[in-house]
Amino acid sequence: MKILVALGSILLVMAVVWLVPIFSALNRSLVFNGIENYTSVLTEPIGGIHIWQTFLNSGIIAIGHATLVVGISSLAGFAFAKLDFPYRNLIFYLAIICLAVPGTAVIVPLFRILDTLELLDTYWAVILPETALTLPFGVLLMRNYFGNLPDTYMESATIDGAGMFTVFRRIYLPLARPAIIPLGVLAMMWSFQDFLLPLMFITDPNLTTAAMAVSSFQEYLSFTPDNIGKYNASLVLLALPALVLIIFGQRFITQGLTSGGIKE
Amino acid sequence: MASGVVTGGRGRIRTALLFLLPLALFYAVFYLYSFIYVGVASFLNTDATLRNPEYVGLDNYELPLTHDRFYIAMFNTIAFALVAILAAVTIGFFLAVVLSTKMRGHQFFYAVFFLPALMPMSLVASVFAVMLASRFGTVNEILRFVGLDEFTQRWLGDPTLAWISVAMIFVYVIGLPIMYYTADLSTINISLLEAAVVDGAGPWPLFRLILFPLTSAARKTIILSILLGTFRAFEIVYLSTGGGPSGRTEIAGTYLYNFATSGVNVGYVAAASVIVLLIALAISLVNLTLQKRADARSGA
Repeated sequence: MKILVALGSILLVMAVVWLVPIFSALNRSLVFNGIENYTSVLTEPIGGIHIWQTFLNSGIIAIGHATLVVGISSLAGFAFAKLDFPYRNLIFYLAIICLAVPGTAVIVPLFRILDTLELLDTYWAVILPETALTLPFGVLLMRNYFGNLPDTYMESATIDGAGMFTVFRRIYLPLARPAIIPLGVLAMMWSFQDFLLPLMFITDPNLTTAAMAVSSFQEYLSFTPDNIGKYNASLVLLALPALVLIIFGQRFITQGLTSGGIKE
Repeated sequence: MASGVVTGGRGRIRTALLFLLPLALFYAVFYLYSFIYVGVASFLNTDATLRNPEYVGLDNYELPLTHDRFYIAMFNTIAFALVAILAAVTIGFFLAVVLSTKMRGHQFFYAVFFLPALMPMSLVASVFAVMLASRFGTVNEILRFVGLDEFTQRWLGDPTLAWISVAMIFVYVIGLPIMYYTADLSTINISLLEAAVVDGAGPWPLFRLILFPLTSAARKTIILSILLGTFRAFEIVYLSTGGGPSGRTEIAGTYLYNFATSGVNVGYVAAASVIVLLIALAISLVNLTLQKRADARSGA
């Protein structure tokens, strides 16, 4: 019993420590003007953009990214798990080793690619490289899931490609729903977290994402003490899109991460 | 997993190619091009468009390899990863075990430790920056409030304190390790633990002799994911200390970013990128080998 009390107290103390930053942000968000900091951030544009627009931009990019990742990973994961072709395992391992590629190591070539394709300062400038960086994880997750599904349905496929695609779309894809939903939710979450790619490839303030607004708002709000409250209120509000996704998708996030392997 | 795979002739290969086409397109444009670009540019003296290149051999590699800041960045990347790993296998492990007893309020505690890791890191880093600011920062305000004025610090301005502050942020996002442990712990047979408790095992032997060895799979995943994650990390430092003061908290991500956006010879940036990429791919290779072995063992 004494031990339970001891463990409980340690847990409580640690929880308090972990809550300090959150308490700090909430506390600072009310300095000088109280709740008015929030109404001001919610109603007035900061540096030329409304906070609502950053939510919308984050949402559009997250949905585009999740759709591409789920679609491409499902197709490729199915091929790696159920179809036979030369060097299948080698190609698979080459594909998933790219899990390790840090975005910062390839920003110059990424910039060149997007510049050449004339996609800079569009949603695609973030969606496409994000997709490329998430695909190794998606392929790993989907290949593992398809690998655990029975092969019996494969026999109903006819020899030609169209037949195989029908089997994929009508039978295996619906069966893979328990992997597809976690992958989609994770892809959205990672998109909400992404800071580097929007920072590099978006300069139009109207396309600012919520994660990026964390730093762009600071440029506009950090100069006077009066603005410190507003800046902190904006930090609290900018947490909302991710928070909503996490609250509704926590189960899928855990499922996806623990079944798919590693990525952080 | 190779069981019952459909085999066949050329038609099957063509089918497979069609399924892989979108993936191949993305990999060719984004990975293959990027790898070739940094590989080639690392031997050139040129600008981002690679116009008017001048072949300079290995000269570009000399700069990062003789640049103190590069070594500091690489050292910090690994050191921050080690701090985070140490915290994960001790604090994170402890929290996961305690929370998996499902005592009253466990969901609240789980959320407190888990949520920060899922938030945008730009937000977490900015909140820490505000909290630790020397003027109006929460930590200094609290110290002043309780009359400990002499303990107020320039938390992000002093090299040692700034380093410790960044390390703290890496520890703060301990949620994913707790999640991996929780998943692993949920597969442990409860009767095994009950038997140990009946036999009089105290909490320390229970932790050390039973639970710790039984969670080795989660530990491997955690160590590798933190290592890879730290090489991917960027905004955690960029938005808290900016790598400062004078480069003392720089990590691989901020070093490459600062270099790439400073407009210097792209060859230097490319050479530094190649080095970081090789290290990250090596870690990934270790991970892959371990995973392959685990797959073989479980017969999957």
